[in-house]
Amino acid sequence: MSATNEARGHPASFRDRDGFLYERDGVLYRQVNRAYAAHYDLLMQSGLYDRLVSEGALIGHRELAQPGLAPGLAYKVLEPERVEFVSYPYEWCFSQLKDAALATLETLSRALEHGLTLKDASACNIQFNRGRPVLIDSLSFMKYEEGQPWIGYRQFCQHFLAPLALMAHTDIRLGQLLRVHLDGIPLDLASRLLPWRTHLNPGLQVHLHLHASAQRKVGDGRESLGRSGRRVSRLGMRGLVDSLRRTVKSVSWEPDRTDWARYPEFHNYSEGSMQQKLAATEKFLDGVGPRSLWDLGANTGQFSRLASRRGIATLAFDFDPGAVELNYRQVRQAHDPNLLPLLLDFTNPSPSQGWAQLERESLVDRGPADALFALALIHHLAISNNVPLASLADFLLRLAKSLLIEFVPKADPQVQRLLAGRTDIFDDYSSDGFEAAFRTKCVIRERLPVGDSGRTLYWLESRR
Amino acid sequence: MSRPLTYLDPGSGSYLLQLLIAGALGALFALRIYWSRIKRTMLRLFGRAKDERDE
Repeated sequence: MSATNEARGHPASFRDRDGFLYERDGVLYRQVNRAYAAHYDLLMQSGLYDRLVSEGALIGHRELAQPGLAPGLAYKVLEPERVEFVSYPYEWCFSQLKDAALATLETLSRALEHGLTLKDASACNIQFNRGRPVLIDSLSFMKYEEGQPWIGYRQFCQHFLAPLALMAHTDIRLGQLLRVHLDGIPLDLASRLLPWRTHLNPGLQVHLHLHASAQRKVGDGRESLGRSGRRVSRLGMRGLVDSLRRTVKSVSWEPDRTDWARYPEFHNYSEGSMQQKLAATEKFLDGVGPRSLWDLGANTGQFSRLASRRGIATLAFDFDPGAVELNYRQVRQAHDPNLLPLLLDFTNPSPSQGWAQLERESLVDRGPADALFALALIHHLAISNNVPLASLADFLLRLAKSLLIEFVPKADPQVQRLLAGRTDIFDDYSSDGFEAAFRTKCVIRERLPVGDSGRTLYWLESRR
Repeated sequence: MSRPLTYLDPGSGSYLLQLLIAGALGALFALRIYWSRIKRTMLRLFGRAKDERDE
């Protein structure tokens, strides 16, 4: 059978010639090529696959009796379990990246115990599924041959160690370098940006600074390497993995320097207003009954949890690394399988990028969700970022069809704070202006006042 | 030593660095394991001695 019209290869699955992902009629498949047969069989027969899947460290799959998208090359066709939402490393907070790094090393350790190793260490091979990091690429394994160095070492340092060290030791915002450098942060750049004291951390000194200078000095010395006769013993490999694990664990970051992370403690709602806001949110959820929900400007996820507790697949987006960090720590502690906190600046959401601009999907491409919260958010977009309300309505309606939006009037102290020191050019920023902007595209189902705060929650339904 | 056939370029510098550091890291790892075993044994011995005194 040749490829049908509905079948298409996954645009991000082209580097590895051992197999690839493709989609047909909305179902995701993975073709395993004949070239990879021996490694795949070893993964399945050594007990490693069963062990990792039962531990929740590797995504499970079913083997299907199908010819595949490129039948001439095919050894097996798999149907992998699908993750709820694909997120990217530049959307993760510090601890998410750190947990993904540790999960990669743990999987490598397990693999070595079963006579296999990891042939890559891309952060994108890890996804957050049901609240924990899981390896989604079942073709990442290969037979371990004693003596061989770890092929994924450079990639691990670029994808994980360099951004973690930069976020912890230089500036948390440097995690965003991953948005530009899709194959991880170049080590010479990381080494240059890190403060001098990181030379005193033995792990960072070896795996980043020394690593960067080794890359600089060796250049293209492949031939001499092949003749050197040196090997990495099994013990050496265990030592390398242990050293990387210790180094990752030694890097930490505490989100006490950003004020948004503490926002819930000094929000300006009275107890009664807060109760009304919570009740209105529950009413919206009862009425809409969404399966998926995006909470934009979620802060530490207080309202997102109203949804995730109901079993709704919930994404809690915020632009503040500290808020996302605190939210993720709560998710991890509570083992919340339905809530995924993510870092996102709504004035500039994640774009489509990478090869052919298809490798990484934009935020919009990964939607829409059934429902959306924009609580205490739109004044930031409309006033701090000067976004016209009509444009805001257009964009939010591309993300979901049922919206719960909090309108914060101009008289509110938070809006006054944003307007302080600048000219008020926002004549249409009023509840009338808001309703006029949204009414052309949606039905206003309810106006729910938030106690004595002067704020209003709008329950809106798209006309589409 | 031949290189395995994989799609990823391991990077020559990264490859060489591993060849240079793996021995030391392996030795350190072995030392750590032995040290933790010694510590465990000592704790067990002293713990037992303490239990006996308590009785």
